[in-house]
Amino acid sequence: MIKAIIIDDERNSRDIIALMLERYCPEISIAAVATDCSDGISKILEHRPSLVFLDLEMPDGTGFDVLAGTLPQLHFEAIFVTAFEKKFIHIIRFSDVELILKPIDKESLLQAVANVSKRIANQEPNQRYQILLENFNNQEADDWKILLTGPDDVSNTINIDDISWIELYQEYTLFSLLNGQQLISAQSFRYYSDLFSPLQFYQINNTQMIQLGSIKHIDTGKNKIEMKSGHTLDITERRQRDLMQRTGHR
Amino acid sequence: MLLLCIYTAEAFANVDRPPIDTLVTDANFAPAKMDLRPYIAVSADEKSTLWPPENFQHQNHIFHPGIKNNGQVNDCWLKLVVKNTSSKALSYRFFTGWHDCMYWYRQPAGQPMQQLMATGLMIDDGGVERWHHYAFHLQVAPNETCTFYLHIINKSYNENPMMPVLFSEEAYNIFHDEQLDSFRKEAVIIQVLLGMLLVFFSISIINYVQLPDRSYLYFAAYILGLILFFALRLDSKPFQLSFFHEWPMLKYYWDIPGLLFCFYLMYLLFGNAFLNLKDRYLFMEKGFTWMAAVVGGLIILCMLCIAFDKYHLPTIIYSYVYFLTLAPLLAVFIALARRSRHHPLVRFFLYGSACLYLACLGSFLLQVKPLGLLGALGELAAPTTLLMGGVLLQAMFFLAGLSYRNKLVHLERTRTQELLIKQLNKNKELQRKLNEQLEELVREQTTEILRKKQELEEQRKIQLETEYDKKLTEIELKAIRAQINPHFIFNCLNSIQLFVMQRDYELAQKYLSDFSYLIRKTLDFSRRNFISLSEEITYLNTYLGLEKMRFENRMEYEIVVDPEIIAAELEIPAMLLQPYVENAVKHGMTNPKQPTGLLRIYFNQVAPDMLECVIADNGIGIARSKSLRTLPKHHQSSGMEISQNRAELLNKMYRTDIHIEIIDKSVEDEANSGTIVKIFIPQL
Repeated sequence: MIKAIIIDDERNSRDIIALMLERYCPEISIAAVATDCSDGISKILEHRPSLVFLDLEMPDGTGFDVLAGTLPQLHFEAIFVTAFEKKFIHIIRFSDVELILKPIDKESLLQAVANVSKRIANQEPNQRYQILLENFNNQEADDWKILLTGPDDVSNTINIDDISWIELYQEYTLFSLLNGQQLISAQSFRYYSDLFSPLQFYQINNTQMIQLGSIKHIDTGKNKIEMKSGHTLDITERRQRDLMQRTGHR
Repeated sequence: MLLLCIYTAEAFANVDRPPIDTLVTDANFAPAKMDLRPYIAVSADEKSTLWPPENFQHQNHIFHPGIKNNGQVNDCWLKLVVKNTSSKALSYRFFTGWHDCMYWYRQPAGQPMQQLMATGLMIDDGGVERWHHYAFHLQVAPNETCTFYLHIINKSYNENPMMPVLFSEEAYNIFHDEQLDSFRKEAVIIQVLLGMLLVFFSISIINYVQLPDRSYLYFAAYILGLILFFALRLDSKPFQLSFFHEWPMLKYYWDIPGLLFCFYLMYLLFGNAFLNLKDRYLFMEKGFTWMAAVVGGLIILCMLCIAFDKYHLPTIIYSYVYFLTLAPLLAVFIALARRSRHHPLVRFFLYGSACLYLACLGSFLLQVKPLGLLGALGELAAPTTLLMGGVLLQAMFFLAGLSYRNKLVHLERTRTQELLIKQLNKNKELQRKLNEQLEELVREQTTEILRKKQELEEQRKIQLETEYDKKLTEIELKAIRAQINPHFIFNCLNSIQLFVMQRDYELAQKYLSDFSYLIRKTLDFSRRNFISLSEEITYLNTYLGLEKMRFENRMEYEIVVDPEIIAAELEIPAMLLQPYVENAVKHGMTNPKQPTGLLRIYFNQVAPDMLECVIADNGIGIARSKSLRTLPKHHQSSGMEISQNRAELLNKMYRTDIHIEIIDKSVEDEANSGTIVKIFIPQL
């Protein structure tokens, strides 16, 4: 059994999570529910759960405050549940923490529970939550860290500005770093291209996205981009024009 | 000339008479003309200059009827003793010819010698009168014996005829008139020549002024030299006078040197410049120049000789120059003649030169017989008619040559000018073309620049418009998004989901219909700018009802409308209040001292055209709410700001003056807490 706590300021929300867990995830037992941050922290400290369902915005704080208040002492997995909180979604995704959107979809819930169950079973360290808090406290999105979990469930943390480019690799995503290292994430290329699009990244074709800081030279005649790592990548004509405009090149 | 010959022939007839010491005259002595050679004793002692020497002898050979080249200075004394035995005084004229220096002394017997006259070509500057000086008065009182001395010094190379003749006054006058006539004819010819030469000179000077060519200058110098030479020549013949008779020595200085100057120096220089030898015959040019330099030196040398009374040396120098240059000049002429076909100027030069030289030669040959080789040489340029004709012809040829040369120069100049004009025209054309091209280029580039500028401006305009549109859309979108919090929407859906799962279908249906109404209205309002106040109140009622259900009655609300207000007629901007109401709901629930959040909304007519809308909650107040914020700055919500922006946008768009006041209750009264938002909406 996995001991879980639900922290949400709305009764309807708590009820639906409890109901759905009862119905679809019998291996999870709800030890307690809390209605705000401070209540949540004390309940966690009291019950020491393995899993916490965490609302993002509450009257006296956010779900991050709960994590910040409990993580130093305890080790648990968290699943964020939120109705609509675009600005925090990025931070959560960068650290590869589970997130469910309301109204809750059964499949997402099951997937999230399955993921955390695996981690609980593997007794993985709480590394991703530290990254989450670090990123949360860091203003510059380009200085954030990202946690990549490969198909083999091995996790790696890298700095965003260490990335040279990413590309589609079967159904996964291949990360090429500035130092030449290559990593594979189990998430789709689409997932990362959406995630990185607000940052200093640019998708140069259907399968590749580069970090602008790692460009060495743009060969406009041949539609090629020379990277600082020495690799040469193709860029489509239309995107090249767009990129030139964006980077202010002539 | 003829008279002179007759006279000399007569004189020669008396040569062989025996010498007689004294001429004794008696009452019957009355010859008109008498050869005195038998009575003249001669002493050629050069040492005695002032006093007659002792050794007088009869030397008939010293006398000669024609011009004679002595080869040296002839300094002699003639002595004539006359004894008048008659009772009448004797008065005759003693004439020996025209000599360079003559001194006439008279010594009556037993008395000292006295000088009666000093005259001669070299010393007498007395004008036309001087010719009378040459016939000395021989006057002897009755019964008196007088000794007369005549000291003659002939320094010049040629000695004029020397024959002692005694003329009676009448006879002398006749002789004098004859001489005058004969020499005048010659003088006229020379003066005509001089006049022509002067004309040539003026022509060449005028030409030179108009066309500064050096050959004109040399020609002018040549002519001037000739003028001077011939003018001075006048002076060396009896009864002919030049303007220079006041300086009797001048004619000697400009004799041989004048010849050298005219016929060699200037001739060479003229030839050099005239024929452009520098361009055509460089070797010849060098020869000419050197020769001219040598001649120049010789001229100075000759003048020096004359200054030192060595009158024969210049003659010798001249004869050498003359004979030595004959062959080279001939060679030069031949060389020039061979090339004359291509060079018409050479012909003029050659013809001119040939004329002079032939005339010169003819004159020389004519004179060789009477004068001997050297004597004739000195008279080479003597103004014989032939020679003067030669000189004139040469000058005319040269002048014609110069004219021809002028023409050539003119032609050349015209051609050059034509070429120049052609070139200038070409240049002009080129310049015009270039200008046109340049203008075309400038025009093109200007058009291009203007086009580009226009393009850029258009682009900028489009960009600005796009940006503006984008910004507007963005603001509007943000505003619309702010109208209803997605968080609220999804939470509503979440609640509905719960009711469905709990099988509370009635509640689910009510919730769903309320929610649908709200969404429909939101969509509807987002398309309209203004809605009626009643619509707004209904909307807020529905919204707050849903919120109340969500928060399980932890919240109460009321909407109070001033009864004076006709809600259906008043218009307010759509969705202006919603963000403030939502904010009030959110913050009203966060006051730990108040278990129930209380929200009041009032609509008041504060002025005839001003609607006041008050949204009051009992939350912790805006000031504390801000300080309680735990989120880092960049994560903070900006819903209020957006609605502020929206109010400004509305003001701008509809030129209204919507005014928003936010008051924290605790600022007025510590015991109170909560926020009051006052929105003033002017009515149109």
